[in-house]
Amino acid sequence: MNNEAEKPNFITSSLDFIVNWGRTNSLWPFPYGTACCAIEFMSTEVGRYDLSRIGSEYVRFTPRQSDVLLVSGTITYKQAPILQRMYEQMAEPKWVIAMGACASSGGFYDCYCTVPGIDHIIPVDVYIGGCPSRPEAFFDAMFDLQKKIKDESYMKMRTERVKEQWELIKAKTAEAKANAAAMAKSKIADIKDFAVEKEQKLIKKAQFWKE
Amino acid sequence: MESVEKIVSLLEEKFGAQRESLAKWDACVVIAKENLHAAVKFLKNDAPAKMEMLLDAAGIDYLTYPNHEGPRFAVSYAFKSMSTVGARVRLKVLVSEADLKVPTLTDLYASANWLEREVFDQFGILFEGHPDLRRILNHCEFVGHPLRKDYPAQKRQWLSTSDYLVPELEKRLESKGYKVIERSEEINPVDEEFLEGSRK
Repeated sequence: MNNEAEKPNFITSSLDFIVNWGRTNSLWPFPYGTACCAIEFMSTEVGRYDLSRIGSEYVRFTPRQSDVLLVSGTITYKQAPILQRMYEQMAEPKWVIAMGACASSGGFYDCYCTVPGIDHIIPVDVYIGGCPSRPEAFFDAMFDLQKKIKDESYMKMRTERVKEQWELIKAKTAEAKANAAAMAKSKIADIKDFAVEKEQKLIKKAQFWKE
Repeated sequence: MESVEKIVSLLEEKFGAQRESLAKWDACVVIAKENLHAAVKFLKNDAPAKMEMLLDAAGIDYLTYPNHEGPRFAVSYAFKSMSTVGARVRLKVLVSEADLKVPTLTDLYASANWLEREVFDQFGILFEGHPDLRRILNHCEFVGHPLRKDYPAQKRQWLSTSDYLVPELEKRLESKGYKVIERSEEINPVDEEFLEGSRK
């Protein structure tokens, strides 16, 4: 106990740096493999190329636990709503890699059934060329994605989110205030009407008794 | 092959079929719609080389075919014999655009079910007596038949939500003796929510 307290056991850093460091080095992919690119991804993931060297240790087969949606293969029109749903189910923060020619642009399938690039449906961060793309290209894309994540600012995003919420609260309070004012106005008008009616009735009564 | 030649001549005798002169590599026989079912039954049960297997059913659109006269569509059935090695026969039925109906083969071959669904999906040929004539490759909101020659090649059709296949599944389960306790309902999607970026 004594010993521990004597040595300094804390570090100073910015929160952005720490968060980005954590995110870049634990990018868990969600493989959405529909064609031969998925086979290339398998060889990227296992022994020879070993994607876990850069922290993508686990391939998660559920969108809830993964960070990177990895679209590897041809996406048809029949499949487009499913892919979009997968993307929507992923938790923030999330990134998308379009692997290979088909996912990026539809590839050589220029026909009635193939989506010409998944960016028609979901936002894409990194595109990889090739048909199918080599594991080296995939590593390059992962490094690009890591660079991109390092440029992101957690604090900025947070302030933006807080600002959004603040504006939402403001708008809601303004709405509630306007509603209350309208209510009060209508009530005052009602009371005025009531008073006017009473007065008229009294006048009528007085006239009646006079006669 | 001898048995195949025999089959062709028998088909010509019995069902008024004609040998396709353009087919150089295999025995292809053009047959009338009315005789198709009987001819296939004969091929399956009584022919010299029994055709136990239906390999494929393919639609053909002759719209832009050079020097073609006659009906626009055709359905080509490929048969294979399992008992006589190497015996194969192709039957072709010509279908005019005015009358797109062809008798189904699902009662003879189980594999005809999906093959005919595919031909219906891609060419719009209607198979009379088919138990479940739905689209198989294209999505449920697709309009038109994409492998017809007059379908525009650049035309794209977006799907708003994925096909709802649970009722079919429940039907199949019930036909196998299962009991469906709770029926599921489709959640109808809101128009503004999905595929906003893709609408053009």
